[in-house]
Amino acid sequence: METDILTIQALTKSFSRKIMNSDGGEDDEQYWIIKDLFLNVPRGKVIALIGGNGAGKTTLFNIISGFVKPDSGSIIFKGDGCESELLKMQPHLIAQMGLGRMFQDNHIFGEMSVLDNMLIANSLNSSENPVSALLFKKRLKRDEVKRTEKTAQIFDTFFGKESPFWEKRYVPAGTLSYGQQRLLGLARLFMREYQLLLLDEPSSGVNPEVIEQIKVLIRRFTEQNQTVLLIEHNLDVVQDIADFCCYMDQGRITLMGTPADVIGNEDVRKSYVGF
Amino acid sequence: MIWQFIVNGIITGMIYGVVALGFALVYNTTRIFHIAYAAIYMVAPYLLMFSMQSLGLPLFVSILLAVLGTILIGYAVDILIYSPLAKRNSSSNVIMVSSIGAMIIIINVVAIIFGNETKIVNPGVSQSITIGKILVTYTQVFQFVTALFLFLLFFIFLKFSRFGIITRAYRDDEKLASVLGTNIPAIKRLLFILSSAFAAVGSCLIAYDVGMNPYVGMPMLLNAVVALIIGGVGRFEAPVLGGVLIGVLQSLVVYFSSARWQDAVTFLLLILFLLLRPQGILGEKMRTV
Amino acid sequence: MDYVIHLFILINIYIILTTSTNLLVGTVNMLSLGQAAFYGIGAYLSVLALLSFNWPLFPSLLFAMVGTGLISFLISYPSIRLKGDYFVLATLGFQLIVYTILYNWVSVTRGPYGITGIPSPKLFGSIEIAGLWPFLILSTVLTIMVVVIFYNLIHSPFGRALRGVRDDELSMKALGKNVNRLKIYTFAISSAFIAVSGFLYATYVSYIDPTSFNLDESIFILSALIVGGLGNIRGPVIGALFVIILPEALRFMGLPDNVAANLRQIIYGLALILLMRYRPQGIAGTYAIK
Repeated sequence: METDILTIQALTKSFSRKIMNSDGGEDDEQYWIIKDLFLNVPRGKVIALIGGNGAGKTTLFNIISGFVKPDSGSIIFKGDGCESELLKMQPHLIAQMGLGRMFQDNHIFGEMSVLDNMLIANSLNSSENPVSALLFKKRLKRDEVKRTEKTAQIFDTFFGKESPFWEKRYVPAGTLSYGQQRLLGLARLFMREYQLLLLDEPSSGVNPEVIEQIKVLIRRFTEQNQTVLLIEHNLDVVQDIADFCCYMDQGRITLMGTPADVIGNEDVRKSYVGF
Repeated sequence: MIWQFIVNGIITGMIYGVVALGFALVYNTTRIFHIAYAAIYMVAPYLLMFSMQSLGLPLFVSILLAVLGTILIGYAVDILIYSPLAKRNSSSNVIMVSSIGAMIIIINVVAIIFGNETKIVNPGVSQSITIGKILVTYTQVFQFVTALFLFLLFFIFLKFSRFGIITRAYRDDEKLASVLGTNIPAIKRLLFILSSAFAAVGSCLIAYDVGMNPYVGMPMLLNAVVALIIGGVGRFEAPVLGGVLIGVLQSLVVYFSSARWQDAVTFLLLILFLLLRPQGILGEKMRTV
Repeated sequence: MDYVIHLFILINIYIILTTSTNLLVGTVNMLSLGQAAFYGIGAYLSVLALLSFNWPLFPSLLFAMVGTGLISFLISYPSIRLKGDYFVLATLGFQLIVYTILYNWVSVTRGPYGITGIPSPKLFGSIEIAGLWPFLILSTVLTIMVVVIFYNLIHSPFGRALRGVRDDELSMKALGKNVNRLKIYTFAISSAFIAVSGFLYATYVSYIDPTSFNLDESIFILSALIVGGLGNIRGPVIGALFVIILPEALRFMGLPDNVAANLRQIIYGLALILLMRYRPQGIAGTYAIK
């Protein structure tokens, strides 16, 4: 469809591994984690991806963002006007094209300060080279000041003036609580105008208060016509903020619709929801 | 006359294989880059010499003592250095640096006690026999037979004993093996013991031929590492194959060109394999990411 | 007094070595065993410029730096994709190959015979730098320049990007950073400045041979860095001080010379083990080896 930002076709990914058989020898076992997956992602919406553990959701994200190469298939990303086949691209180039990612296990820079975590998120690759470091110090300094203001704004808007983030901006990010780290990982994604965001279980492991903040942040993305693909196990979150929902089972998307439809679906209820 | 060189290369390569196998026993399973192995390797002939010359013990007993002593030192390195680091989940770089530290200490202690110079164990030229057009010395025959015997023993043990099966499981997946109820720390200790024993045998075989000094460990370790990489990390046949290949290759370099390019060719081979085929000849293709 | 000046010159040379290596091993956390190879290449390239081309000081120095930096691409480009142990092995292989070439390519490098009679470098073509005091001034000036440069590099967006690579390479890629390019830059800078030490060593001692640039030397430089501390500017300086002053302290205590060398090594080995166990960031560093 014309309004789709991402078109995935016939995606297949298998792994092979050695297992020991009963004679003490070794066999090769091949299993498909993604098998013939098709998905069209409409622009500007929040699309939730649900499914059991091991269904292949994170692998799908890894393939889309370029960290894992599939066996076959095609992923077309329609950025600002241009179309790109993501499977031919390296992860950092995919990111540069406007695809943002939040990982299941935080992956913020624990040894860096909170502020540095934000600043590094949108510092230009052209500033990050040794020549600039030595010759253009003043210009870089001014740029950093501007982006520090942007950071302050973001912290203000989303976490309020009483939040600890701005106060703790010089503290190593690894010392924040788990929930705060999660929020930092999301806040970081506001430093740039991404077009598509892949969020992997953003609400896992955090208390309900933080979940509310996360929900607000996620909906904020769509206000700037950004698209969010969301892996979630928390069905309340899905029902609250998702426009669409996809159910993934045995390596493919078997169902797509509104959250109410999909979660209410009988097969989904039996095999995933549990009641 | 190229066959003379090839035979020489095979025999030397067998010893490389013994030493490489000892290194692989630790690396394939625990992933510890056991640089201190170079020092453990070097110590054995000194213990042998000490036992025979200073203690006056007969050859057979001395060999036993040398191997036991080497095992003890290897064991000490594990207990004092690797185990404490493993308990805090230290990274492999941290372990490698500590291993370098251990190696430096052992080498220099030996140098202080025994001196820096090369010591000859077996002066004089060894007798030899002739098979067809090929000349082999008694020493070479001894080296070949010992290495072959060790290999046979080891691979039968690996395939058929319970320990062998567990080692292979450990090599494939440490967490899985420990979940299956095998006693991982005990296996680890046993692997270190075997590893040091192999180093000791290989070292004494070589020292009997060319003598020893405190600094022979690193060059031999490098050969062992190259053998391991070329053969492939994974199966235990690989370092043996790699060792023999390197032995023959080095010999051929001497035949075609000159002894001084042996090392360059060996290390060039290392880099080529690292860049083009890091899984080695026998290894499985590794998953990236 | 002369001897003290000599020590200071050595300290300067080693500060440059440890500070340069720090960018690679400390800031980006890429453990390498190839420092001495670049040290040697820098020295031999300097000699080429001074002796064969007859160039004055700064062009020769620049030649050595650029040449070494370019040669670093030979190893960095193919090997940065290698993970962990394999990368260290590749640097080890590089170190050994360079050494073997320097040792055996006798027609070019004079091999084990070494190169004698290295001329004193001529500043602006006329001012000859020879003797203890001029070398002290030259080496100190260069050292200060190198330290200032690396200070700026570490505290810049570039430095922060390197720390990001060290901290979480995956995140860096997901944020659109070209991690491979950053690593290659680091390698090139590190090796280019190591070459400065090669230049100083060659001109100060006026004789070089391959045995000064072998694997033991790589381990020595690495140890100095690890003991002093990684990741910041103080650490490498302290490390250089430690390894140059320790032997003198031992000599002061009246140890016989033949034992002193071995004892010194034992102390280094012990320092490495204890630091890795109890203080992996070194005496004065900010980052631990990961």
